[in-house]
Amino acid sequence: MTTAAAVYDPQLPGGASAVAASARQVTKAYGSGETKVTALDAVDVDIQRGRFTAIMGPSGSGKSTLMHCLAGLDTVSGGRIWIGDTEITGLKDKQLTRLRRDKIGFIFQAFNLLPTLNALENITLPMDIAGRKPDQAWLDQVVETVGLAGRLKHRPTQLSGGQQQRVAVARALAARPEIIFGDEPTGNLDSRAGAEVLTFLRRSVDELGQTMVMVTHDPVAAGYADRVLFLADGVIVDEMHAPTADSVLERMRRFDGKRTS
Amino acid sequence: MLLKTSLRSFFAHKGRMALSLIAVVLSVAFVSGTLVFSNTATSTFDKLFAATASDVSVQPPKPADDEDPQPGDKPETVPAALAQQVAAVPGMKTAVGQVMVHNATLVNPATNKLVGPTSGAPTLVGNWTDTPRNPVTITSGHAPQGAGELVLDADTAKKAELGLGDKLRIDNAGGKHEFTIAGIATFTTTNPGAALAFLDTATSQQVLLGEPAYTSIEAFGDGSRSNDQLKADALAKVGGGYQVKTAAEQKDENNKSIGSGLNFMKYAMLGFAGVSLIVGGFLIINTFSMLVAQRTREIGLLRAIGGSRRQVNRSVLVEALILGVLGSTLGIGVGLGIAVGLIKLMNAIGMDLKASDLQIGPDVFAAGYAVGILITVVAAWIPARRASRIAPMAALRDHGTPAEPRANVVRTVLGLLLTAGGGGLLVLAAKAEKAATGGQYLGLGVLLTLIGFVVLGPLLATSVIRVLGALLPALFGPSGKLAQRNAMRNPRRTGATAAALMIGLALVIASSVFSSSAVTSASAQIDRSVGVDYIISGGRTAITAEMLDAVRRTPGIDHVTSEKDFDAKVQLPDGQTKRTGLAAVPPTFFGTDFRLPVASGAVESIGRGSLGIGENFAKDHNLKVGDSVTVTYLKGHTQVLQVGVVFAKSSLYGDASFVDVATMAKAVPAADVPEPRTFFAKAAAGADAAKTLTALEDALKEYPQLSVKDQAGYKELVQSQVNTLLYLIYGLVGLSITVAVLGVVNTLALSVVERTREIGLLRAIGLSRRQLRRMIRLESVVIALFGAVLGTGLGLAWGVTVQRVLRDQGLGELSVPTTTIAITLVSSVVIGLVAALVPAFRAGRMNVLAAIATD
Repeated sequence: MTTAAAVYDPQLPGGASAVAASARQVTKAYGSGETKVTALDAVDVDIQRGRFTAIMGPSGSGKSTLMHCLAGLDTVSGGRIWIGDTEITGLKDKQLTRLRRDKIGFIFQAFNLLPTLNALENITLPMDIAGRKPDQAWLDQVVETVGLAGRLKHRPTQLSGGQQQRVAVARALAARPEIIFGDEPTGNLDSRAGAEVLTFLRRSVDELGQTMVMVTHDPVAAGYADRVLFLADGVIVDEMHAPTADSVLERMRRFDGKRTS
Repeated sequence: MLLKTSLRSFFAHKGRMALSLIAVVLSVAFVSGTLVFSNTATSTFDKLFAATASDVSVQPPKPADDEDPQPGDKPETVPAALAQQVAAVPGMKTAVGQVMVHNATLVNPATNKLVGPTSGAPTLVGNWTDTPRNPVTITSGHAPQGAGELVLDADTAKKAELGLGDKLRIDNAGGKHEFTIAGIATFTTTNPGAALAFLDTATSQQVLLGEPAYTSIEAFGDGSRSNDQLKADALAKVGGGYQVKTAAEQKDENNKSIGSGLNFMKYAMLGFAGVSLIVGGFLIINTFSMLVAQRTREIGLLRAIGGSRRQVNRSVLVEALILGVLGSTLGIGVGLGIAVGLIKLMNAIGMDLKASDLQIGPDVFAAGYAVGILITVVAAWIPARRASRIAPMAALRDHGTPAEPRANVVRTVLGLLLTAGGGGLLVLAAKAEKAATGGQYLGLGVLLTLIGFVVLGPLLATSVIRVLGALLPALFGPSGKLAQRNAMRNPRRTGATAAALMIGLALVIASSVFSSSAVTSASAQIDRSVGVDYIISGGRTAITAEMLDAVRRTPGIDHVTSEKDFDAKVQLPDGQTKRTGLAAVPPTFFGTDFRLPVASGAVESIGRGSLGIGENFAKDHNLKVGDSVTVTYLKGHTQVLQVGVVFAKSSLYGDASFVDVATMAKAVPAADVPEPRTFFAKAAAGADAAKTLTALEDALKEYPQLSVKDQAGYKELVQSQVNTLLYLIYGLVGLSITVAVLGVVNTLALSVVERTREIGLLRAIGLSRRQLRRMIRLESVVIALFGAVLGTGLGLAWGVTVQRVLRDQGLGELSVPTTTIAITLVSSVVIGLVAALVPAFRAGRMNVLAAIATD
């Protein structure tokens, strides 16, 4: 169904430069027998390096499950997943944890920050955990990009929702992960703060060369991406390149109509 | 509706409630166990005395102004003719002359071992009488007849493995008397643990009293008149100051004397109950604060849809009530077990209480439920009030981790005032001239500093943990840093959790400072003041001339010194009369045997017929060397003496006064001189100390009632006596520490639940399970260590003050047991690690996705 899968096999040498993560025939099912619910049904997907990919779909389509599986937060029932050159399906908890720490950045919808740490400590936390020294120049650049220079000593409770999400973005960027996953990162923000955060995400892809995957149900948010994948009933049903908010909304509407017909 | 919510909520938090429940159960168990035990003991003795007391007992006159008869003193008697006089009272059926003395020792001549209890219950030797209420009946053999026969009680015979025909010796001030066991008597009532031996009346008078008299007349009415009437008539008949007591009066008196023995046990148990109550209170407060904190949103919703403050308040209190009722019920059950255990313990030391006779009165339930429910509801009331104050919208907005207000100004000021006040009192106590005044300041100071520290706890939590935890990030990386921050984030909770541990550890440290000071002081005192090499102390019987001779004849012994102790009265120059302990000593006492520090005057003056007094006595009564006083020995013998020397404060002899034996002998006839209870021996120059000790023990092996100690042995004895007390305190403290550990577990478990999302986040961004578990363990260790540091501080302050207060009472030297302190701090780390086991494990098991998704 997806065209990218045909041209790329992640096991081929040299391919790593083009693809940051990929999934082959990934299936995720809950329960068994008659109560079995299939959240993902043999999904193939490739996430291009240095691009901003959005995953859309109605509630229950499996979009969050797909992201969680790609990010190594959830296990799959079948199929294989690679982050960069590393196959993550079958990894033990310890190796998965290390992978998340070193190669993946996360931005959640809410509650992204530890209340006991200030903004800067939150940003450098993944490197702290890894016992690595942050690259000061890069850190400065990231902080500059997300516009937090004056608020680094603030505790999360002293920051607005938008500022908190920007700290989360900075944290995800600071460790230079291979790929950043966002789980409705603007879901809890008003449109202005949301636009601000999405602009930073866009800039991090354009200016810092970051790979970004974002799950959203907001066409406006998806409009910031390079490519949108549409999921329904655990299957990727469509994709769109260079989307705008309008075109995504249009596609969603058609897609809703298709489903109801 | 509210009851339903409360019930649901209670059962939804079973695990958490279980921990608080343990605290309630423990407190209630100790309270009710103590009550059941003392009720059972009292009723047992009540029955015993009711079954054995005569209707009217005529006893020797009361000694003049409460001169307590000393063990080993000759027993007071009534003349034999009194029996007929009492029997002649109208309505009296019989009057039996009884001989019963405490001052004899039973010895098995075959083994030279003591027969009967060595501590606690007494050994009673008397005449065999046939009264209507005899506590024993002869179950084998026959009543004692003639000079050579004796009847022994069955329990004692069994313990000593003696039977009919075996020999038994009675040792008393009159010497050694050997008898053959002619009969075995069995208790018809509960055996209170005493050993009983009976002779025939004439023999008992001769051997035990040395005169044809009785120690009391036990009379029984024919039922036609009341005991009070009989008493009145008997009193009129005998006159002469004799004490006449009805059965009821005898029972009360006996209960009082038994009671004082049992009271120690009772107070120790109530101490346990008190400590577990206080510590349990903290645990309950913490549990409910956390339950409330977790339910902030729920409470907000309840308030938003129209629930009143009172309803919220009540819903929390109802939960507490359920906990209290459940905990008290279980606690009373466990308390019965404790009572049975105590009874078994009493059996082991020879007091024959029966577990089947447990007295479970309504007072047990009343006290148990009152304590359990009250403590729970009061402890829950504080968080409940806090919960109801939360504005509904603030509660709804909350994300499960309420930001607790920082320690406020009122708390800080109050805490500082209390601590400063308590500290001031401790300083006053340490400086007080008199131990009694110091003791009062000390008690209040301990209380105030304790409350002060508890109040200041949250404030200290922030500052102390900042310091304590400063090393954590450096040592343990990110886990350390997160642990430190977590421990400081709810200062009130950390403070309360640590307070529970603090109390226990403060008691450990204070009592170990006390005990190590006591041991060090005693050793130092012995080294400084004691010149004799051997200390020989008797049990409950007098030291006889034979014993002194046996020691004197032992090779290697230079001389023997004995002192005779009086409870004397001194008439001051201004006419007032004061009591003092007075020792009559031979010249060698101050020559070579003891070196007491002198404040003024000369020690030699005692040998020349002067009086030596203690510094405190001198100061209190304005006496100085050269003053003349009138000394009244027992039985009205008086003598005018000049004060020749004032001894400086020293613990060995307290504030006692001294005269020379020769001086005393001028006023007191030999018959009225008390027998010594302890005597001393000095080895000859060049004698082998160890060999001499063996020789001494050998020479005295016939007298198992004597204990022979050289200086080292005596020091060990002091140490072991102090340690016995210490172990009791450690038992008490062990309990409070157990409860405190439960508190730490509780706090951590709840923190883990509260921080589920945070933990999920941490795991998502790459914190490994090991790092997560380490974070929780470190938080636990920091809290425990915080409690230990506060406890050590408090305990040291208390312990040092106790030493200062008792500096003239035998605690002259301060000794700080650094090992104990080190062990305490190290064990607090272990406590922290143990407490974190389950919470850390559970946090590690958490599903990352599920954790992030929690709200």
